[in-house]
Amino acid sequence: MKPILKWSLVGLGVAVVGVGTGLSFMAGSPKDAVGMVRYALPYMHFGTLQVGSAAPDATLLALDGENKFRLRDRIGGKPLVLVFGSFT
Amino acid sequence: MKLYDDYKDHADFLTIYVREAHPTDEWQMKSNAKDKDNVCYAQPKTLAQRVAIATDFTQRFNYPLPFGIDQMSNAANDAYAAWPERLYIIDERGRVAYKGGNGPFKYNPQEVRDWLAARYGQVKHTETATSSDKKS
Repeated sequence: MKPILKWSLVGLGVAVVGVGTGLSFMAGSPKDAVGMVRYALPYMHFGTLQVGSAAPDATLLALDGENKFRLRDRIGGKPLVLVFGSFT
Repeated sequence: MKLYDDYKDHADFLTIYVREAHPTDEWQMKSNAKDKDNVCYAQPKTLAQRVAIATDFTQRFNYPLPFGIDQMSNAANDAYAAWPERLYIIDERGRVAYKGGNGPFKYNPQEVRDWLAARYGQVKHTETATSSDKKS
């Protein structure tokens, strides 16, 4: 094996271990690091909206499971605080 | 919810339920386990499943904020890059006035409070002594 190839592989291995260790530290454990890479990172985006952008509209379902309403219909006389989240 | 109580006369609030962050069939957190908070749900595959989880959430915590559920297309989530949790303020003209960071690490209700306080003034809470406090 050529030295340059050997050292490239060593460098790659060190980088993989370093990234894995860093992600494990961030997530709490190696298992959580795998979960974060597989299930979180693909869905987490900074987004293109900026302060001053027009607020996008969306159709939402009410808690009764039947009625729908438009987000834009909630925009009006007062500022609207949007709280996005889930249960888990 | 304290933020809501403090500023609900000045601002409207809307909670939007989006896809689960730590369902049992994906990246479940230990803190959600049955012997802890018992928040164990698989990722909803139907809108009815989302409604069921959202209903459990609002009932379990007597959650007072107005509530909407994102469609299975995740249209609201995608439009606002909201997952897993995020805060925005939309002004009266329909413009983004505040954009919070992605949760959980950059999810900061204090920034929303600061924005509202800058416009409407700070809400000050006076500590009321309880009966046990008075006895001691």
